[in-house]
Amino acid sequence: MRLLFILGEIGSGLRRNLSMVISVVLVTFVSLTFVGAAGMLQMQINQMKGYWYDKVQVAVFLCNDGSTAVGCASGPATQEQQDNLEAMLESPAVKQYINDFQFESQAEAYTHFKEQFSNSPIVDSVSEDQLPASFRINMKNPEKYQIISETFSSQPGVETVSDQRQVLERIFSWMNGASVAAMGVAAVMIFCAVLLITTTIRLSAFSRRRETGIMRLVGASKTVIQLPFILEGVIAAVVGALLASTTLWLMAHFWLNGDLSKQFLNTPFISSTQVLVIAPVLIALGAGLAGISSLLTLRRYLKV
Amino acid sequence: MSCPAGFKRAMIRFENVTKVYEQNARPALDSVSLEINRGEFTFLVGASGSGKSTFLRLILKEDKASSGSVYVAGQNVANISSWRVPKLRRGIGVVFQDFRLLPQKNVFANVAFAMQVIGKSRSIIRETVPEVLKTVGLEGKERRMPHELSGGEQQRVAIARAVVNRPGILLADEPTGNLDPITSMGIMGVLDKINQNGTTVVMATHDDDIVNEMRRRVVELKNGKVIRDEAKALYTSMIPVVGESRRLRDASGEELDRAQGAQL
Repeated sequence: MRLLFILGEIGSGLRRNLSMVISVVLVTFVSLTFVGAAGMLQMQINQMKGYWYDKVQVAVFLCNDGSTAVGCASGPATQEQQDNLEAMLESPAVKQYINDFQFESQAEAYTHFKEQFSNSPIVDSVSEDQLPASFRINMKNPEKYQIISETFSSQPGVETVSDQRQVLERIFSWMNGASVAAMGVAAVMIFCAVLLITTTIRLSAFSRRRETGIMRLVGASKTVIQLPFILEGVIAAVVGALLASTTLWLMAHFWLNGDLSKQFLNTPFISSTQVLVIAPVLIALGAGLAGISSLLTLRRYLKV
Repeated sequence: MSCPAGFKRAMIRFENVTKVYEQNARPALDSVSLEINRGEFTFLVGASGSGKSTFLRLILKEDKASSGSVYVAGQNVANISSWRVPKLRRGIGVVFQDFRLLPQKNVFANVAFAMQVIGKSRSIIRETVPEVLKTVGLEGKERRMPHELSGGEQQRVAIARAVVNRPGILLADEPTGNLDPITSMGIMGVLDKINQNGTTVVMATHDDDIVNEMRRRVVELKNGKVIRDEAKALYTSMIPVVGESRRLRDASGEELDRAQGAQL
């Protein structure tokens, strides 16, 4: 009976304040979409890190015909220089830092290049001997890049040692920046949402002060008086959170896994199922914020 | 228990109660000591600002006494924790001058509201509400909306709502203030009937005709002090009695003992 009564009260409250409730739904929707987008960006960064960090770490490029580096003064790297480098990689001084390494010949480099740029006309203008051969080194601890760089960059036949992580780091830092910006927008929007929920609940409490006054006099408990108002805010916020989750899912499903994954074939995108992990967080966040701000408002504006 | 004599009989008991709303201002109630027994009908009279409403608010624990103690049904209201205040209020019905009905609910729903919010079952509500409406003389008007009723009928609805949960105490704050004399007498009939059923009634009023007609106990307040407390009295006393009076346990004592079993 009391449950039915509370549900009835919520229904009448939502109806009476419909425009305000819709605005709460929309503001929480937008703010939580930004929170979720920031979360998705972080997930994407982690996904790419996991994928790339395993594959590319440090590359020791050998001299080829076009090399201009100091170490390449004697022309393309010789087999002897290559063997020498391989021996160094096998030596215990270096070996302790690396998991394994592979030699990528010019022919292999050309094949990879063609794969990577299969959609691009640049493939036709590049020939095999323009690409350097390299040792691809898989580090135990990627942070120790400096040691490898110092050891190998001065060796004869080595053009350059590059930490491919640095290239990725730039992308990641850009993505991190974007996710911080999204969080910033989200924070402002959440602040708006909290203020809006506060105002809505205040209006709702004001428009029903006669009912609540009577409820108080006949001895209704604090819960029965306050719960309809709190749930009103929570329901609106949860609807907003559901909308935000749906939007994010649609984005992941049709944009990331649709268009983008076709354009960037070897970039691992997060799947739309992974996005569903964010949904409960958004719902809990929306419900929690609405619940707390309603409760605080009621403590000020609804005498119990 | 170190209860003073008569502790259990007193439904409402004020012990040296002072209420100060603003520092340096005259207290709204000034060390008032008073006992109202179970089943008694008491008029609270006095000019506006004499402390009548404060007296009622203290019983409801709407306000806290600045000093002294207020006992309701033997319990010091200062010791009732905030989450148990609703329980205290379930034992007290309240009626106001302005009725305070819910305009979008019909008569039945207005009365039922008081039962719904404290979680009474639908079947009990369907059974009880028509009974109470009959007591206040509103049979057959269950489906009317408040705006379709006269002032007197609206006040009857308000009374029905106040007593539908069978409180031990009914507080009425100028319940006839908006009504004409004949309608007022009708309302008094209803209140009297409720009192006959064992409910303690405290009514604050300015209506001298009613007080003179009813001949019940009259407590007169002036500037927050009790200046008269007479049984079966008139609105204005021929011989003003100044100061505290404790002539409470008069001939009606027998009836009070009978009503003692009634639950708050």
